[in-house]
Amino acid sequence: MNAAVPVLEARELRVAYGGHVALDIPHLAIAPGELVGVVGANGAGKSTLVNALLGWSRGAPAVSGSVRLDGEEIGALPPHRRVARGLALVPEGGAVFMRLSVAENLAAARPLSGTRGRPHDAAAIHALFPRLAERQHHAASALSGGERQMLAVARALRLGPRALLLDEPSIGLAPRLVADVLRTVRGLVGPDLSVLLVEQNVRAAIAVVDRLVLLERGRILAQGPVAAMRDDPRILEAYLGEAAA
Amino acid sequence: MNLVQQLINGIVLGHAYALIAVGWTVLLGVARLVNFGHGQIYMLAAFVTWWAVAGLGLPYPLAILVAMLAGVLIGLVMQAAMLRLTFRQDLVAIMIVTLGFGHMMRGIAGLVFGGQPQVLETPLSYIDFEIAGAWVTAQDLAVILVSIAAFALLHFGLERGTLGRTARMVAEDPKLAQLAGINVSRVYFAVFAFEGAAVALAAALVAPRTPILTSIGFEEVIVTFVVVVLGGIGSVSGSYLAGLGLGVFTALFGGFVSPAYATTAAFGVLIVVLVLRPSGLALRAGGR
Repeated sequence: MNAAVPVLEARELRVAYGGHVALDIPHLAIAPGELVGVVGANGAGKSTLVNALLGWSRGAPAVSGSVRLDGEEIGALPPHRRVARGLALVPEGGAVFMRLSVAENLAAARPLSGTRGRPHDAAAIHALFPRLAERQHHAASALSGGERQMLAVARALRLGPRALLLDEPSIGLAPRLVADVLRTVRGLVGPDLSVLLVEQNVRAAIAVVDRLVLLERGRILAQGPVAAMRDDPRILEAYLGEAAA
Repeated sequence: MNLVQQLINGIVLGHAYALIAVGWTVLLGVARLVNFGHGQIYMLAAFVTWWAVAGLGLPYPLAILVAMLAGVLIGLVMQAAMLRLTFRQDLVAIMIVTLGFGHMMRGIAGLVFGGQPQVLETPLSYIDFEIAGAWVTAQDLAVILVSIAAFALLHFGLERGTLGRTARMVAEDPKLAQLAGINVSRVYFAVFAFEGAAVALAAALVAPRTPILTSIGFEEVIVTFVVVVLGGIGSVSGSYLAGLGLGVFTALFGGFVSPAYATTAAFGVLIVVLVLRPSGLALRAGGR
């Protein structure tokens, strides 16, 4: 594989609700084996961005632009076909099927054929999330918020995606668990899986990601390697509560 | 009045009600959809069965298949027209569009089949059995057996296996199902094709009991509505029991009180049940 080809690349990606432009991204790329963090205030367009990459939404926005996965254009495909190509999304809020058991939720995602990703089998999932093995016969509605989040991530991993879009996997979790979850995410990233992580907790994100993208009002305000971005005055001021030195 | 005869009539009628409602049960249970053109698909399928037997000279079982095929086609055309509304789960618009389809089907049936009442004669209607002094035809037995088979298949189909799991995922959250790689529009088309085929099957089996006119269908859609609401919306076993109960009630009320007020009394029961148990008679809400 040519290392110069990004795993996931968006060009001129625009999302509009009615006449209002909610997202305008000229270019965004994620390299093989990269963990990219998307940060920004509430309403900056973080969820809109990851949803638009999959062409998915709970509402009915107008989405335009090019999305490429491993160099192949997928921007015109419906969401389920983008999933079939190897792009997976875990939407905000532990999105699991409440009426299905844990095991059924996992079985619902069948490993993709023809993806260059690596589908996780049940043993790999249970090694990663032992809690899910213990609770596999429980209804998803009986799980805690953190367990539902694990289940949602596990279901996406079972597919064997090339790129995984994670929308606030740490939301609603105790601070101690946030670091755990993000460390787990870091551990998933490798040559066959790249991750785009939306995270509200900037400090926690900085600790694990390779690169940061700062969104504001639907536009990229700044992006770069985390080492450089860590000291960016805009990040410091807005999200870390420290005065720009 | 002979009680055994009324009970048998009620059981036959109840299975007919349940069979007529089975398509809508799936429509509501899996896709959260309604179809107020349901009764007119019943009417058209009854005419198609009659035409296949009387016009084409096909044997009755083959005529049933032709009617079911017509039902599938109507279902697919309706869903194709409503796909965007379905994804938005815009129930009011879907209600109006399906009502409109119903009226169009009635007009088309009038043009194609004319205003004459037709009688669908099947070989099974001429075979009688005597049970404890009461009479039942082979056609009635066919209605009971096919209804039980349809509900049993559906119960196990939706309870187990990949198909059932997919259906339950789409029922709970169609958007989330897309993220698991499921082609949700294909599920919606399949559900509407099933609805068309199921109501056509019901028509082909039940319509020989009465004359076939382009104006039939209204009673069928109302009965279906009562059955799915009483049964607990989307509940397969609930619909079966509600259909059976409604049939027995209608037959007994008609036999011992007055047939003229049987429908009125059925609605009285519906209102009482809904006031006492808003989720219907199903054991658990959303159960199957």
